[in-house]
Amino acid sequence: MPHKWGMAVDLDRCTGCGACVTACHAENNIPTVGPAQAARGRAMHWLRVERYWEGDFPDVRLTFRPVMCQHCDAAPCEPVCPTYASHHTDEGLNAQVYNRCIGTRYCANACPYSVRFFDFFNPQWPKPLHLQLNPDVSVREVGVMEKCTFCVQRIRAVEIDAKAEKRELKDGDVKPACVQGCSARALVFGDLNDPESEVSRLSRSPRGSKLLEDVGTLPKVTYLERQTQV
Amino acid sequence: MDRRDFIKLTAVTGTSATLASCGNSEHQLIRFVPDEDLVPGVAEWKPGVCPLCAAGCGLSVRVMEADVETVRNGQAGVVKMGVAKKLEGQAGHPISQGGLCARGQAAIQVTYHPDRLAHPLKRSGARGAGELKEVTWDEAIAELVGHLDALAAAQDQKSLAFLTRPRRGRRLALAAEFLNRFGAPAPVPFELFGEEVLRRANAISFGHEQLPTFDLARSRFVIAFGADFLGTWNSPVAQNAAYGAMRQGRPGQRGAFVQVESRMSLTGANADQWVPVKPGTDGVLALGLAHVMLSNKLRPADAAGRAGAAIDGWSGGLADYTPARVEQVTGVSAKRVDRLARELVELGPAVAMIGGAPLAHTNGLFHALAVNALNGLLGAVGQPGGVFFTPGFQPSVPGPQVPSPQALQNLSAKVLLVDDVNPVFGAPKAWKVREALAKIPFIASFSSFLDETSSLADLILPDHSFLESWVDSTPESGALEAVTTVAGPVMKPLYQTRATADVLIEVAGKLKSPIALPWKTAEEVAKSQPPAPSPQSPPAARSPERLALRKYSEPVFDGDAAQYPFHFLPYMSQQFGDGSTAHLPWLQEMPDPLTSAMWSSWVEINPQTAERLEIAQGDLVDITSPHGVVRAPAMIFPGVAPDVIAMPVGQGHETFTRYASNRGVNPIGILAPATDAETGALAWAATRVKIARAGGGNGSLIMFAGEMREHPHEHETR
Ligand code: SF4
Ligand code: SF4
Repeated sequence: MPHKWGMAVDLDRCTGCGACVTACHAENNIPTVGPAQAARGRAMHWLRVERYWEGDFPDVRLTFRPVMCQHCDAAPCEPVCPTYASHHTDEGLNAQVYNRCIGTRYCANACPYSVRFFDFFNPQWPKPLHLQLNPDVSVREVGVMEKCTFCVQRIRAVEIDAKAEKRELKDGDVKPACVQGCSARALVFGDLNDPESEVSRLSRSPRGSKLLEDVGTLPKVTYLERQTQV
Repeated sequence: MDRRDFIKLTAVTGTSATLASCGNSEHQLIRFVPDEDLVPGVAEWKPGVCPLCAAGCGLSVRVMEADVETVRNGQAGVVKMGVAKKLEGQAGHPISQGGLCARGQAAIQVTYHPDRLAHPLKRSGARGAGELKEVTWDEAIAELVGHLDALAAAQDQKSLAFLTRPRRGRRLALAAEFLNRFGAPAPVPFELFGEEVLRRANAISFGHEQLPTFDLARSRFVIAFGADFLGTWNSPVAQNAAYGAMRQGRPGQRGAFVQVESRMSLTGANADQWVPVKPGTDGVLALGLAHVMLSNKLRPADAAGRAGAAIDGWSGGLADYTPARVEQVTGVSAKRVDRLARELVELGPAVAMIGGAPLAHTNGLFHALAVNALNGLLGAVGQPGGVFFTPGFQPSVPGPQVPSPQALQNLSAKVLLVDDVNPVFGAPKAWKVREALAKIPFIASFSSFLDETSSLADLILPDHSFLESWVDSTPESGALEAVTTVAGPVMKPLYQTRATADVLIEVAGKLKSPIALPWKTAEEVAKSQPPAPSPQSPPAARSPERLALRKYSEPVFDGDAAQYPFHFLPYMSQQFGDGSTAHLPWLQEMPDPLTSAMWSSWVEINPQTAERLEIAQGDLVDITSPHGVVRAPAMIFPGVAPDVIAMPVGQGHETFTRYASNRGVNPIGILAPATDAETGALAWAATRVKIARAGGGNGSLIMFAGEMREHPHEHETR
């Protein structure tokens, strides 16, 4: 059976520290756009930490939620793409083929989670910042859409190694950059087709729910609700 | 044949790693034959230590081959070499446990920063004018040696001063040894958010002059006073790991957590109960909780031992700290005090923490002592789920870890060496550090960047980056066992820089009367173990009777309450800490977790206060203290008390690379030079301000636009 990659986010562990956000930039060659473009809404964060304020001082409450591409099984971004740049892989990833993308941005319009970002210009890394670039991840140029890939390069690397060593993947072998960086272990990644994997177990939690569940996108990210003191 | 002897030169076109120069025939570069054996495309993992705060997180660095532009024997060219590609937390490291904070993730940009200093520089224009010319290492070292020889010739060795960030591992031990043998005073450490108050309190209460470590993973109930322990305080990565385990690591046993503060920090956002208190009164709440436990005989009074004995009125059951009085002083209702005290006892093991703003008042030490006594009473000291002191730790330089303002203002040095510290940015303007430095005839800096302090130097001898040199760290806290991490360079230096330890050793040897140091290289310095800790006098050995008894005295705020109606709270930012990482573009563009602001300064104002003063989000606001004024855009912030105005520290650099210079404002500038009465530490939360709308927004408040179009709570089916 092919793998079906998915993630669980335990909001009771997540502290909102933002390490995952920077880890994602570092891993995936995501450009910084600078203050002028950021002010025009062009900053790119494949992964962001959202915040929800409730109540008024002093009874005020703030909850964080890391949001990345939900790798939906019924992804609204896929059917609207005229070039099949946004498509589904047989391992359940919502993938983006950069050199098919012609930049219509229909997919970004269709995505209810606002996790797709458009390259408005060629990225710039004043030397020697280019040395930080990850050679396993392609650098996107002007005119294409980009978004969270579940660190597909890490998935592939582990799969290739396992194949070369003629062994099966173990639960926990694949860690996207955000998962690896999270000190609080709020993020868990793995194979949803393996009912024993940690991500499967967490996805069945009674605390679990999907983001905007009722729009019918069938996300593969499960959020485990933050609890309150009993 | 050794390939190093065989430098073959070939012309190549372009450097394949950059988009801009692709196919550009002007970029004819010499390609040097590499002197490392590398397999293209295969990653190697090497250990390291994160240099960005004192937590000392262990790194695992992914190293791969890349084309690097370099200069060899005066010839510019390109060489293939192994370079760092990604920093991860080292799996199994007792502090980082495989994780890193956002700053640690971005630390690689320190090495690859486009404005890093690549070679020694000598001032050629007026001081601070930024006119610097490149000199050779021989010239630079000769210049420094000349100045030190002149001091020695005049029998004036004591006029050499060394300013440093505290807790810099063995490198600071080397500096101390150098100074000692030269005849100069010990290094002067500077840190804005120093922890001297807490160390002193821990020495008084527990006999450990040290920062605490918390066994949160086994706690059932945590109450934190001001400590942003999930964000920036103490050892955040280790604390995040333990926190995650406390919440969801034990099936069916979720630890509860209460945060006490006057502005909701990242840590406070995670609390089950968020309890605002009036600034400078935290210790009263802690003793109020103790009062309830004592008067209801929930815990035995003598459980607190020496920590309790340090508090006035302890043996009498803390009669001055009844819930009613606590309500009056702190603003926390008597009912809540009573309930919290019972929860702490019933739902334990419980532990209390204190850090940050509560200790930055004129009565800071009292608050720390009060929380220590509460921990004693709870039986949390040295017990599972409680507070510990990492064994065997001793500072590399004994004595105070923060300078008194006098030490900085009256630096009467003739020669000043500055190592990795920026007090011109990080000290209140009222300390007049810039003026003090102006009077020093010769300043040399080891900085890798031009910042407010290094730009005043006469000579800059840039250090290697942490990925290019030997590093070591023995953190004061963060693990229950002693941890020393030593790691070699993970890559060759990119530039003509030198490890500061090697420079000091070379200078020592070249003096007219050379100094004999116990180390020959930076590697030996990093690898040398500190001398065995002197046996600490056990707590019981010092008789409790002789302890001065501490009681609450009202905090003194700088600025008249009628004229300056708001408390001013500067806080360490998640991205920039004390400002020393504001030059890293990933951190500038990282949305602030509580506000989503990027590339900005802002001032946090309670919504009711803003409405009353007719201030809207993004409006420019003047924040005025008796010591100055800063202008910043307003951030309407639901988690700040109506009489408190908060600002993140880190922006407002005059000089700190292309990414941080002239961006936002520096709230430290307007702080009063108030100090904690007993320790002399800066009371950075003791300033009062007034605010006034100065005009509409000028677009300087930049927020991350990305968010879902619909609020998930409207959708979630429960
Ligand atoms: S790194 Fe982990 S704890 Fe921090 S914001 Fe991301 S998911 Fe939350
Ligand atoms: S807490 Fe963050 S900045 Fe400090 S050492 Fe660890 S990773 Fe580095």
